[in-house]
Amino acid sequence: MTFAAEFLHTPDLFPGRRSGEAWGDRRVAIAIPGGPYVFSGLSADQEAGVRRRFGGLCETGGTGIETRVFAAPASDFREVDTRGWEYNLSMDFAPGSVRFAGLRLMGRIDWAPSLTTPSPTTPSLATPSLAGGLWTPEGEGELFAPVLENFFRVLSAYRLLETGGVLLHSAAVADGGGAFLLLGPSGAGKTTASRLCEERGGTVLSDDLNAVVFGEAGAQVEKLPFTGDLGDRTGGPLQVPLRALLRLEKGSEERLLPLSPARALAHLLAASPFANRDPWREEVLLERLERVARSVPAYTLVFPRGGRVWDILRSIPL
Amino acid sequence: MSPDLTSVWKRRADVRYRRVEGEAVVLRQSAAEVLVLNEIGAAVLDLADGARRISDWVNALSGEYDVDQETLTRDLLEFAAELEHAGLLERVE
Repeated sequence: MTFAAEFLHTPDLFPGRRSGEAWGDRRVAIAIPGGPYVFSGLSADQEAGVRRRFGGLCETGGTGIETRVFAAPASDFREVDTRGWEYNLSMDFAPGSVRFAGLRLMGRIDWAPSLTTPSPTTPSLATPSLAGGLWTPEGEGELFAPVLENFFRVLSAYRLLETGGVLLHSAAVADGGGAFLLLGPSGAGKTTASRLCEERGGTVLSDDLNAVVFGEAGAQVEKLPFTGDLGDRTGGPLQVPLRALLRLEKGSEERLLPLSPARALAHLLAASPFANRDPWREEVLLERLERVARSVPAYTLVFPRGGRVWDILRSIPL
Repeated sequence: MSPDLTSVWKRRADVRYRRVEGEAVVLRQSAAEVLVLNEIGAAVLDLADGARRISDWVNALSGEYDVDQETLTRDLLEFAAELEHAGLLERVE
């Protein structure tokens, strides 16, 4: 299918550069790994919606990875019947940019240094970086926040890749000894396993998207405000050493089976949203994921409904 | 035409792979598929460059595996056909 045709009446009119009519002059910075991320051009209501959604992660002023938000006519967007539907953005990749369209959003990320040229209101970053553009007809805060979050997920995936980390579709559960990253497609049991671990004393960072970054202490899992059915868990650690990778499988009896580094890499690749479809960023993604796969042991964890997931995870030797 | 020692395969344009400890992790970007191939599968991906014939594959691998040339040829032809069916290779001759 033609890029964006699922979401836009006229895909050919997709913005060719980051320009348009801003919603307003408000801006908000959100401090999460890879950031802070600054969203500018917001209306007051949009800003309020973002602040309600991201709460204490929001900062006033400051600089960071800049995304400009623009108004787009509602008539540009198709009405999509979302019953029984799995939301996948339509994406288009190029050497210096990524374009994507979704429900009530058009987005683009550009790496061209000219787009990060400092302006009086946008101080430069230390190094050339990426910059975003988001077009939406949603001016009301509560409707705008989920649009921004969908954009933000893509932006953070690329920013993490740029800064030495990676975004993974995963659940992360932790104790004092480290974090276990649970991998698997939708329906594999990430949220179920997270809930089971939490009931037994584990701390859930997110049951949907987590960042893995590398520091002096090796691979670390960083908490992101992107969650699945389990919702936000406030408090708890923000960064935890990665202890093991677990590929989840539902089954009738509990089993823990070692995975080769190649198979772990394959599961990590399948769990790398957006970037694993991008032919222009594949080498850096593979390099990054191989580093993750080699940094900790990996297993397939087969577990039944109500299984002792947390006990099994904690039995994995450090 | 049935494949034989003169047949030539190449990797499809959307196939990317990375060798990790003998195995190959294969990404088919157009289909968003990820596969893992064993050591011989990884070797076949290396050899399927659109220039080398099956006879070249046999020569390259005969010293690596304890198997007679006839069996190796048959196995490689079968494997190439399987990888073609899986969308990883395409036959050019």
